Amino acid sequence: MPDLLFATPALPLDEAGKYVAGAYIVFLVLIVVYVAIMASKLQRMERELRELAGFAETRSQGEVAAPGRGSEGQSISDSFAPHGAEEAASDV
Amino acid sequence: MYGKGLKPLSIATVVAIAAALSLVFFYAPLDADQGFIQKIFYLHVPLAITALIGFVVGGVFAVLHLRSNDRKWDAYSYVSIHMSVIFGVAVLITGSIWAKASWGHWWVWDEPTLVSFLIVFLMYATYYPFRYAIEDPERQGRYASVFAVTAGAFVPLNFMAVRMAQSLVHPRVFATTNGGLPGSMMFTFLVCLAAVALLWVTLVKLELTAKSTSGQLKRLRRALDAPPTGSSRPRIAPEVS
Repeated sequence: MPDLLFATPALPLDEAGKYVAGAYIVFLVLIVVYVAIMASKLQRMERELRELAGFAETRSQGEVAAPGRGSEGQSISDSFAPHGAEEAASDV
Repeated sequence: MYGKGLKPLSIATVVAIAAALSLVFFYAPLDADQGFIQKIFYLHVPLAITALIGFVVGGVFAVLHLRSNDRKWDAYSYVSIHMSVIFGVAVLITGSIWAKASWGHWWVWDEPTLVSFLIVFLMYATYYPFRYAIEDPERQGRYASVFAVTAGAFVPLNFMAVRMAQSLVHPRVFATTNGGLPGSMMFTFLVCLAAVALLWVTLVKLELTAKSTSGQLKRLRRALDAPPTGSSRPRIAPEVS
């Protein structure tokens, strides 16, 4: 063991404890921040998927209602369906 | 595809981390020289080892990408490096906390182990601007892989150079003389190493799953945006940011 470590006495528990707690809390915080970022990404993907599903449903309904006409005038943004509680419940 | 096996892997990681923390605080004896502050090593050293191995693994995936031109390996390489950089941040912070408690300084510039790790970390920090400065995806992947291979080869060389430099103050966990860990400490350390390595693998898998899902969503959006047959008007949909 290096000389400096031999010369350094062990810190008393009340002093060492805050450093040890600090190190482990930093690790925990990093993990939590990472998971939070991943959760926000997941939310964004879920929102986008819902948007695309709504668009696909609207387009298929439009094609059934007016065969041959197509649904060129619509965009995914235009076809946002209100995502109410009923729809949320049916998703689950 | 990437999400397969993520759930059991996550459970195994949580169990391993819980076991590791229990061993650290209820089983491993106090170090005679450093006392309670030595408990930081059970976190700091496994994080450092995992981060460095992760950088090398990123280089290996980059070699596979360059050999096969399969972009899947580029994604593996990118995510491996990305996760190792995050672990590297934890290594630097936990190491600084230990240094402050033990040496009285947050950072010591004449300590080869610390400075060499910082150099490796900063080198990989340049991976992101380097990668995203290139717009063409093919070139981006190829150049990033060349970077990952070169930097990945530098990591073990750097490690060996530091070992040969005979550090004066940085303690050695796997020393053969005057510093090797006793059995109970070594067992605890190995469990901690396994837990941190499992965490790295789980997070890499999670990130790959998220990236894959995001890519599939873009494909779906493109397919739905494509104009139907006979129509020249595209159905532009803004991507959710």
